[in-house]
Amino acid sequence: MKSKAAGLPLSYRLAVTSRCLAAVFGGYLLAAMASVCITLLAPMPKAEAVVSGMMLSFLFYLVAFLWCFASRSAWQAWLGVLLPSLVLGVINGLAYWMKN
Amino acid sequence: MLAVTLFGFAGFACLCLAMEKHYKDLLETAPSAARLRILRIAGWLLQLLALSLAVHNSGWAMGLVELFAVLMAGVTLWVFLLPYQPRLLLGLLGLSLVLGPVLLMLPG
Amino acid sequence: MKEGFRQAMAWLHTWTGLIFGWLLFAIFLTGTMSYFKEEINHWAQPEVPVRAHDPLASLTLAQNYLQEHAPNAGSWFIRLPEAREPGLSVGWRVEGAGRRGFIEKNLDPATGAEVQARETRGGDFFYRFHFQLEMPHPWGRWLSTFAAFIMLLGLVTGIITHKKIFKEFFTFRPGKGQRSWLDGHNAIGVLVLPFHLMISYSSLVIFMSLVMPASIIASYGDNTRAYFNDLFGASEEVKVAGVAAPLLPLPALYQAFQEQAPGSRHGWIEVQNPGDQNARVRFSRHGGDGIAYQRGGGWVFDGVNGTLQNDSKTEAVPVVIAGGMYGLHMGMFAGPWLRWLYFFFGVAGTAVIGTGLVLWLGKRQLKHAKSGTQPFELRLVEVLNIASMSGLLLGVAAFFWANRLLPVGLEGRAGWEVNSFFLLWTLSLMHAMLRPGRRAWAEQLGLAALLWAGLPLLNQLSTGQGLIHSIPAGDWAMAGFDLTALGCGLFFAWGARKMWRPPVLVAKRAPKAAKAASANLIESEVS
Repeated sequence: MKSKAAGLPLSYRLAVTSRCLAAVFGGYLLAAMASVCITLLAPMPKAEAVVSGMMLSFLFYLVAFLWCFASRSAWQAWLGVLLPSLVLGVINGLAYWMKN
Repeated sequence: MLAVTLFGFAGFACLCLAMEKHYKDLLETAPSAARLRILRIAGWLLQLLALSLAVHNSGWAMGLVELFAVLMAGVTLWVFLLPYQPRLLLGLLGLSLVLGPVLLMLPG
Repeated sequence: MKEGFRQAMAWLHTWTGLIFGWLLFAIFLTGTMSYFKEEINHWAQPEVPVRAHDPLASLTLAQNYLQEHAPNAGSWFIRLPEAREPGLSVGWRVEGAGRRGFIEKNLDPATGAEVQARETRGGDFFYRFHFQLEMPHPWGRWLSTFAAFIMLLGLVTGIITHKKIFKEFFTFRPGKGQRSWLDGHNAIGVLVLPFHLMISYSSLVIFMSLVMPASIIASYGDNTRAYFNDLFGASEEVKVAGVAAPLLPLPALYQAFQEQAPGSRHGWIEVQNPGDQNARVRFSRHGGDGIAYQRGGGWVFDGVNGTLQNDSKTEAVPVVIAGGMYGLHMGMFAGPWLRWLYFFFGVAGTAVIGTGLVLWLGKRQLKHAKSGTQPFELRLVEVLNIASMSGLLLGVAAFFWANRLLPVGLEGRAGWEVNSFFLLWTLSLMHAMLRPGRRAWAEQLGLAALLWAGLPLLNQLSTGQGLIHSIPAGDWAMAGFDLTALGCGLFFAWGARKMWRPPVLVAKRAPKAAKAASANLIESEVS
């Protein structure tokens, strides 16, 4: 970055790393959960629902990514992606169980 | 398609002139608020005309694609040429406003 | 990240832009070239003759050839010449050889004789590179798709960060150093934004089955075949009957196709089980027949009695949308002037990334201009900037020079063309490491100018199909390539000249200027 780069505290670097991981992997999880949710709940034939879910998933990934770097702390970043993922996961589980 | 391009180009040119800073730079006089408003309305009307023409000629799908393409090309040309050849661009604006309607009135 | 939303987005924009910028520049450059991949293919195989189009005659020649050379093949493929692809190509699956056993031949569309065209990957190399990155499957696709996502992220964070997006919509102020670079970066980003957003999002949709398979798994388990069948219709693989029956002359079926679907364009033509009772002839849909790319469908005829077996059905809305994204990305429907606009917008996208990389470095180099030394991190970025931009241009040129200079009969010459690309690219990286920044730019751009501008001459000297031949002959694909290469060469020469002169340091002492400069320049410092 600049000559001050060497002086960046470790806690800062860890926080950034944490946010990156939250964004890349947590965000992916959220996007995948959203994709499945749309697919299972959309009132359309299976293949079309799959296509719709997949196409929209990237918007969720985008928002999750933005959140991970806009949130006030790295912990909040993780919370912001994991909590919705959990909720969606439960919904997905229920929807899947009800379909089969 | 050429008519769409010309109207779109003219539209963006008017919207540019509707901004006080650009008006002053290009026309070297201070514009009145009314004039700026007229330019803004004219700009949007020209864009609307370009849109209707594009859709009328090629349908919604292809029309929108072509419209976006020519608009992006036209406004890019305007912005990057503006510091170098402002008078040429103003001339093109005038030409568009004349040639556009002429093309519309031609048969076919 | 306590400074606020906009600041955080600026930080994200700057850092993801840097880390992925080098890769994205290569993806965008080769992707942009791909809009003319057929023309590049034509230039790369000058042996393929350009003839006046006569589909029925060419079809007969193709059928005769295949009947003679591959009578027992499971299926035949025929690609008729068209405006952008002058060659007539035939192919067949060797019996029992599976996926690998596919033979393809180029035929003269007028005589049906085999054309010995030089082995090359041509324009298809750059096309495949831009989404596979010459990496083993599926890693290249994963990386390029993730890069596309970062591009999308860069666009969105850029929009969020650009406070004066409407106020400065028409603003470009040249001759003001860093300010001009930022104006340019913003302008080429905002003015062509619909294209940039479309190209990025569509990239994700194109590989969504690969990168976001969760929905498929949730709905179909591991039966992905069922998913693709539901989506595009099951591929009609009719089994061989074992009873010999003569195949109808293909021109007759071609005319039947034209009656069935007047005005439609077909893609390749596939003959299943030729010479058998259960022969089927399929006219696939042309990718450029509409905006939305539709993979399934096509028109299938019985090969023995000529009856239509099925015809293209319309697809559901979400599938049309996905197909639309694919179609918009590929631009196969684009006619000549729209294709040039696609190319121009692709160049714009490449320029957004390039200017961004230059800005990132330039701004930080200003801070060290007084001290004269550069910290390692900045030097690293400088070297990578040069290698990924001018270096890439050199690599591309090397590919085309190799195409003309390597002996036509050389074994594996296609691979050697690709090696030349990577070799010169790597050499340019090493050159950038050894030379001071501005010098390296000037020298590499200068060499790029020579290599690119020299292509038309090289073409003429090595094949006789240079501009003095192609323009009078009306071979606009060939001439277009040479002219574009020449134009690019001149542009690089201009760039080289600018870099050759030492930079003019503008003393920005005026407080108003400094304030305006810093208000909009992205502040990435966080600590």
